[in-house]
Amino acid sequence: MRRAFLVILALAAAGAMAFYLLTVPATVPASALPEHAPDLANGKSMFTAGGCAECHAAPAGACDDLDIKDEAVLVGGRCLKTDFGTFYVPNISPDKDTGIGNWTTLDFVNAMKRGIAPGGVHLYPAFPYTSYQRMTYEDLIDLKAYLDTLPAVTNLAPAHALRFPYNIRRGLGLFQRLYVDGESFTPDPKASDAVNRGAYLVLGPGHCTECHSPRNAFGGIIASEAFAGAKSPDGDGTVPNITPSADGIGDWSAEDIAYLLETGNTPDFDVIGETMVPVQENMAKLDPKDREAIAAFLKSLPPRPNAVPKAKDKTADKAEP
Amino acid sequence: MRDVMLVVCACVGVVAFAGLTSAADDLAQAVKERRALMDDVVRPAAKLGGDMIKGKIPFDADKAAEAMLEISDVPETYVTLFPAGSEVHAVPDSEASPKIWEDFEGFKALAQKLEETSTEAAAAAEQGAGPFKAAFGEMTQICKKCHKAYRVKKKE
Repeated sequence: MRRAFLVILALAAAGAMAFYLLTVPATVPASALPEHAPDLANGKSMFTAGGCAECHAAPAGACDDLDIKDEAVLVGGRCLKTDFGTFYVPNISPDKDTGIGNWTTLDFVNAMKRGIAPGGVHLYPAFPYTSYQRMTYEDLIDLKAYLDTLPAVTNLAPAHALRFPYNIRRGLGLFQRLYVDGESFTPDPKASDAVNRGAYLVLGPGHCTECHSPRNAFGGIIASEAFAGAKSPDGDGTVPNITPSADGIGDWSAEDIAYLLETGNTPDFDVIGETMVPVQENMAKLDPKDREAIAAFLKSLPPRPNAVPKAKDKTADKAEP
Repeated sequence: MRDVMLVVCACVGVVAFAGLTSAADDLAQAVKERRALMDDVVRPAAKLGGDMIKGKIPFDADKAAEAMLEISDVPETYVTLFPAGSEVHAVPDSEASPKIWEDFEGFKALAQKLEETSTEAAAAAEQGAGPFKAAFGEMTQICKKCHKAYRVKKKE
């Protein structure tokens, strides 16, 4: 009896040790940062392409209001209601106490590329570092420099309210082991400059993958079905397939895609709604060439059928294009 | 006497039921009509203008102006097609936000703006592709503004 107890104790200790080792935060060393003089204009473009304000600026009304107060004031407080519980978006203004005013550029790079905050704190992937990790070091340095120019405002956002086991931050180390490697985007030498630029914007700062692709039980993107549509992150309805297939946007031209990003109008002139509105409004501020690049990349994706069935057949209702 | 009462009750019941269904029919009809204005008039006309701007079809000043004037005819009728009770979740297919009734003046003001900007786009078409593109953009901003404020997009 005593022996059985000892065996169980030993197994539990081994399990705890394995969990500890598997979840040790992986970070980027200071030596990885290149010598680079920050370009604030490019930092602002990255800020826009990344949609930082969509989540980190204060919501105009209730905590889930899609409208924001001021895109330069990143005080947090927005709530994201998901299957895992409710996330409250933190303050990333340069305030030293409640924001990220004490973060070095390396700290910032580790948050963006590794999902690790200073002190080895694992960050939840509701902050889409799974995409941001593909950004170049130069773009991240520029973005950090731009964020430093914004007003520092004191505001302590509420703590996340998540279900067990998701409330154990350390467990995120397992997720990060699977889905985070911090590798910057590598251009495809066979693809055009426009397709590569579009791929960078879509896969990196734009983090389009996060909503438009289905996830597995671990919460990771299913690579073979990327961009083929997904369940809505807030659990209600679906996010469209944006691959060039019959289910997706195969009958859209590259001009149609760029025009949607510029204006919010689909080719047959429905107006986009919901969470895509703030995304589109940011895309509208980018250089027109960047919107064309995104369109070129989306047209180059493998056509895929819908990854998740729609709640209703879209041909049954012509108001839903 | 009892039989008479039963008949009277039954008749009243039938009439009341008929009244209810016809009210529901009226609401459904309003939804159908307002959707038809959007789907069969506004969207095809906007698509024609959009296709010219994207260079999918050649710019044709007369056709563009005609399409914009078709749009400008819609708002006046459109705002009459929102009887109380025809909002989203109350009537099948409705995407009308309850905000339409909470702020009907604001809704009407945007409809009026659509009439003005589409009329301006028609005039701009006569001046060439460049002015048309600019005026068309102004008009679609109104589309977007109104949909954002007053439409609840149904979940797909």
